[in-house]
Amino acid sequence: MFELQNVEKRYMGVHVLKGVDFRIEDGEIIGLVGENGAGKSTLMKVIYGAVQHDGGTVLVDGNAVHFRSPRDAMKMGVGMVYQEQSLIPNLTVMENIFLGFEKPFVRFGAINWKKMAAAARRQLAKVKLDIDPATITDHLTFAQRQLVELAKVLALEERVEGKLVILLDEPTSVLSREEIDLLFTVVRALRRRASFIFVSHRLDEIIALSDRIYVLKDGVVVDVMSARGAEIGDIQKKMVGRDINSEYYREDRQRPYDPDRVLLELDHVTITGRGNDVSLKLHAGEVLALVGVEGSGREPILRTIFGMQKPEKGTLRIRGEPVHTFSPSRSVAHGIGYIPRERKVEGIAGGMNVYENMTLSQMRNYSRGGVLDIAAERALAREWIHKLSIKVPSELADCGNLSGGNQQKVVLAKWRSGGSEIIMLDHPTRGLDIGAKEDVYGMIRDMSADGVGIILVADTLEEAIGLSHTIAVIKDGEIRKWFNCQPGAKPSLYDLIQYMV
Amino acid sequence: MRRHFPWITLVSLLVLVGMKDITFLSPENLVSLASDVVPLLIMAVGMTLVIYIGSIDLSSQSIANMATVLTTIALPSCGVAAGLLVIAVGLVFGAVSGVVTTRLKVPSFISTLAVGGIALSVGQYTSGQQALHMDTAQRRHAFGWMVGQTAGIPHELVLALLIVAVAWFIQTRMVPGRTFKAIGAGEPVVVASGIRVERYKILAFALSGMFAAIAGLVFSVRLSGGSPTLAEGFLLPAIVAVLVGGTPLTGGVGGVLNTLVGTMIVAVVRASMLYFSIPATGQQIFFGLVLIIAIATTIDRSKMRIVK
Repeated sequence: MFELQNVEKRYMGVHVLKGVDFRIEDGEIIGLVGENGAGKSTLMKVIYGAVQHDGGTVLVDGNAVHFRSPRDAMKMGVGMVYQEQSLIPNLTVMENIFLGFEKPFVRFGAINWKKMAAAARRQLAKVKLDIDPATITDHLTFAQRQLVELAKVLALEERVEGKLVILLDEPTSVLSREEIDLLFTVVRALRRRASFIFVSHRLDEIIALSDRIYVLKDGVVVDVMSARGAEIGDIQKKMVGRDINSEYYREDRQRPYDPDRVLLELDHVTITGRGNDVSLKLHAGEVLALVGVEGSGREPILRTIFGMQKPEKGTLRIRGEPVHTFSPSRSVAHGIGYIPRERKVEGIAGGMNVYENMTLSQMRNYSRGGVLDIAAERALAREWIHKLSIKVPSELADCGNLSGGNQQKVVLAKWRSGGSEIIMLDHPTRGLDIGAKEDVYGMIRDMSADGVGIILVADTLEEAIGLSHTIAVIKDGEIRKWFNCQPGAKPSLYDLIQYMV
Repeated sequence: MRRHFPWITLVSLLVLVGMKDITFLSPENLVSLASDVVPLLIMAVGMTLVIYIGSIDLSSQSIANMATVLTTIALPSCGVAAGLLVIAVGLVFGAVSGVVTTRLKVPSFISTLAVGGIALSVGQYTSGQQALHMDTAQRRHAFGWMVGQTAGIPHELVLALLIVAVAWFIQTRMVPGRTFKAIGAGEPVVVASGIRVERYKILAFALSGMFAAIAGLVFSVRLSGGSPTLAEGFLLPAIVAVLVGGTPLTGGVGGVLNTLVGTMIVAVVRASMLYFSIPATGQQIFFGLVLIIAIATTIDRSKMRIVK
């Protein structure tokens, strides 16, 4: 049994956890939900020892403990399966499983690999993974690596007394449906050995897997409910503190696109390294969603259109003109904007302020003879801060300190203010809370109304269905099926999934 | 707070040495102190641009060495054009470092070390491994405007401040400067914004090479000659000046004005060694230590989790 009593945490004056009570019984699966900024990740870090709480107590089997590091927590049986996988890609599976705990296999300073392989096999069997422990980790699929990570945490079992507590942080975000089912089966089968804390944005999965659900909001547990009979809408309401509009995706604002204006056309394009053949047309005012499992080849299509990679064969036409040179600068000059999935890496330059970020792609328009017109830049930034109601003290604020939603608005403003007519949206709502998501959906509708063509790779299928005019289902790099998505006649999840897997 | 650290350091140092000997703070002394570090300042300004984009330039000192030799050799035949020639050579050497770094993907500390090696050899070869001297009349005719004083202010110092002003304008008001900052802050963002990053990186290295050449030019005019080892011992203080000025190795923050303050800190520290009777040979020990401390305290660890 693992328990937190009245746990407090402050970061530089910000009260992140305000007296959290949390309890997990042996063999229980707890779902932990909350919006971004609700304090979920801090709570988890306290649990697995990466962060020290400054008030309250942590109890393992009724005894107060103090974790100074994740290693301390592991010694007490608390382990973390990281969202960003923590395995080292160029080591073998067994080396990863026993990383830092090689001692039992060492004799006279040398590792007995046979003994380690046998032990690793025992761990892998727990997660029903039948692979050679000497495989280089990099050669595994993402889902396999996730299971190895789980096996690594389960290896704690032999080293600690009592039951394990295992944290799963967004374990399903990049898995396919089948892989998710497999993971859930494994987790359920492991309840005899361990209890689990399952963190996810996907409420349907939380309900399906957990016994009880903790809802966290603004650093406080606002509700603990039994998962049996729990409703998604109900949980959402508690997370946000208000009703989610049934018109979440603003379907009422979806207008037909202009079928006579083709902005972008891929004509039998072979994406590098995939040997496929992709044809599509994007019209003014259209939202075209590319749908498929992770690794099905959606991103390479976006990156090819944006000029980050060169197609092997075929023609790419922008407003009817074939494109011959492929580079991002060329694409930007042609009015293509790219809103990347990795917002903090490719979207926002932290350390630069709002106007510097907004004009980064269009400095040519705000300079004469290489000399920047900073007054004009600032005016532009103020205009868009107002238009998109970006929450910043001023256009001089450092974008690195903004919330995810406001950062995404700055990135959107960057392309919209530059007059981009074709916009690639790669997971535009990833990691945003519900309010910020709604804002992004509203902006997508605004852009459509202005005649912008959008290619969307959405975070969830519901999002793709809700937002798009047209859906292309992609499997193994090829477009397998087209769906028309007019409001009122949208395809169902099931319609799409059967072509995805 | 960290933003204000450099100038607070400078003022405290001045006060500290001033308490030991008040004449240190006399305007004449301060002006001569400043004009003594003019070549170092110019080199450090160029170095700033490269560090600003998150790279490093280890060729500056060798390019400056080469520039002293080339200026002295070219002076008799070219006159004042010798200056332009040397500046162009510096630009080309810097650009080569840039091309090697961006196109061949050689890390900048290696590419600039290699280009610096080439520059050093060019200096040694063209000078025949010896110190060369300028003809006094020719020197006065071509570069007389650079030496001398007006109203107690040495012309060199005015020139250096002009160069700082130009570099500052490029950094804060021009497209390349903004792009340098963005590259230092997050290069993938700049690529994804459709900017030809490689060109700007090459430009930063080329400018650094050019400033190093100007530093060499000024130095050779001041000493009325050139030698392939004349600017020996400049590299470490130049890097120290940039870093203690507040431009971290990861780039994106700080800039030219910071380096102005950083160079003054170096100048005061150097001069104060006399006052505290520390032998001049011990200087590099001191700068080495300061460099390590400066890097360790200014680096943005969120950008570099792992150092290899």
